[in-house]
Amino acid sequence: MNTSKYDVIIGLEIHIQSKTESKMFCSCSTNYFSKEPNINVCPVCLGLPGALPVPNKRAIELCILLGLATNCDIDNEIHFDRKHYFYPDLPKGYQISQYKKPICSDGYVDIKDENNETYRIEIERIHQEEDVAKSTHHIEQSTGMEYSLIDYNKSGIPLIEIVTKPNITSAYQAREYANKIRQIVRYLGISDADMEKGQMRCEPNISLQEKGKWEYKDGKILAIGEYQLNPKSEVKNIGSISAVEKSILYEIERIEKELDEGKKIIQQTRGWNADKGITEFQRSKETADDYRYMPDPDIPIIEISDEDIERISEEIVELPNEKKERYLTEYSLSEYDSNVLTANKNISEYFEDIVNILSTEMDTLKAAKATSNWITGAVFSISNDNKIEINEDNIPKQSLAYLILEYEKKILTRNKAEELLRESLEQKKDLKILIENATKESQDSTSNIESIVDEVINTNPKAVNDFKSGKESTIGFLVGQVMQRTKGNANPNIAKSVLIKKLNG
Amino acid sequence: MDKNTLKHIAELSRINLTDEELEKFTPQMQTILDSAKELQKIDTKGINPMKKHIPFTALREDVIENSLSQEEVFRNAKHKENGYVKVYGKIFGAIEES
Repeated sequence: MNTSKYDVIIGLEIHIQSKTESKMFCSCSTNYFSKEPNINVCPVCLGLPGALPVPNKRAIELCILLGLATNCDIDNEIHFDRKHYFYPDLPKGYQISQYKKPICSDGYVDIKDENNETYRIEIERIHQEEDVAKSTHHIEQSTGMEYSLIDYNKSGIPLIEIVTKPNITSAYQAREYANKIRQIVRYLGISDADMEKGQMRCEPNISLQEKGKWEYKDGKILAIGEYQLNPKSEVKNIGSISAVEKSILYEIERIEKELDEGKKIIQQTRGWNADKGITEFQRSKETADDYRYMPDPDIPIIEISDEDIERISEEIVELPNEKKERYLTEYSLSEYDSNVLTANKNISEYFEDIVNILSTEMDTLKAAKATSNWITGAVFSISNDNKIEINEDNIPKQSLAYLILEYEKKILTRNKAEELLRESLEQKKDLKILIENATKESQDSTSNIESIVDEVINTNPKAVNDFKSGKESTIGFLVGQVMQRTKGNANPNIAKSVLIKKLNG
Repeated sequence: MDKNTLKHIAELSRINLTDEELEKFTPQMQTILDSAKELQKIDTKGINPMKKHIPFTALREDVIENSLSQEEVFRNAKHKENGYVKVYGKIFGAIEES
């Protein structure tokens, strides 16, 4: 497929805002979304002299939890360092981060690649740091001067950075990996990871190297012989998982074109412009970053015991990959259905609860298949049409299980069952009561269906004769007549069987 | 320490130094480095850094406490606008945002 003379080499940095109550190094609230600016700010956030940062235990637990879920080694000592840079989004003049000794290192996440084969994305490190303030840039009308407005509410919110080794080989893999990380952090309750809200940020770096001229060794890309490695570009401003893939595809094409034209590639940072679907040059990185890292003297070395780590590991729930495997084997669901149902933890729990309810009435495999069909089909589409979330409040599990059961028992047709679900959501009616009424109507119509069938047989002698002389398709017409007389309330399956019984009798 | 190194360090802190200042400060900076060099002569092989260790369980619990009032926040801000701290000048320079 890839006929290019270049190999694509991608690394991905992901930042995740942890879902804690208070900030990373102070007790200010982390709740900043659509809040008044500069209300969750204290001397630590502002880096005032004498302010002492004190690490948030929960934030570190969440970082370790993510490390455990991504198969990392967890260090027994936690060191914080200062990363210096002078910019108003961090008034201390440095960001508290981790440099030489990240909490978590050498992990991996397995994804399915474009050929549906398992591919292992290697994680170099996961470390804990703090978010910076939100700044917006403007030009003053009266003076023409440039200025920035800064809101420090976001400054100091716990931020987890996850860095892969450069072993991602396609835009597709990068997207799948970002998606997997988002699923994991959501499953574990580490973060809501809403990219539009900036709770998750993805920054891929991309380079193209000539085939056969480089090797991947110990997590690094090394040139073979005299070959000079091409510099990489880093992409920022990515606002969605799909933009991860799109921006990388754009970069690959752009770099390849430049290489083919014999242009000199420079190391640079580019910004993704989602409207135009292109990356735009932001700045070149001719010199290495000079952050003058040093150990933060304010924060002691934190000793974390194996028992602490063991305790944290108890929070690990069944992760998407494991859950999917279980759906494939335990429930015999298709790959597609398993993927869809495990993509979101709430949906998967909702699904499993309904399967459990139904399992008391029918075989578990049958219950799983039926529930999967209903959720991925009618429930998704109807809840989507009504813009509601699938949960206990909107569609009570007992009621949906009841609906599925009545359908499986052929008391309700699929159309009727879907209609009830739609009616319940659109008109905010109790689904259980709707099903009870419909079932009752169906039963009533069954009890007087015999007389209606007799009527239909008496008033349609031609069709009856046609059927008796072997034209079996006529039965459809007769069923239709029964349905018409019951105003659609009869179950067509029952109508058909009663008709056949009487016609053959 | 030469003038270029000092210039680089000053730029990282967004400080513009004139040639005159560079001339004046370069030897001063060199004196600081020389003092540090004295310390580096000491053999610290096998000696752990003297940094306090604390157990994980001693860390701060995740509980919100009161923040400053906006008025207090702005006490050190030269300019403000609609609840934001206002900073003049083009700050989007060569140093990246995190």
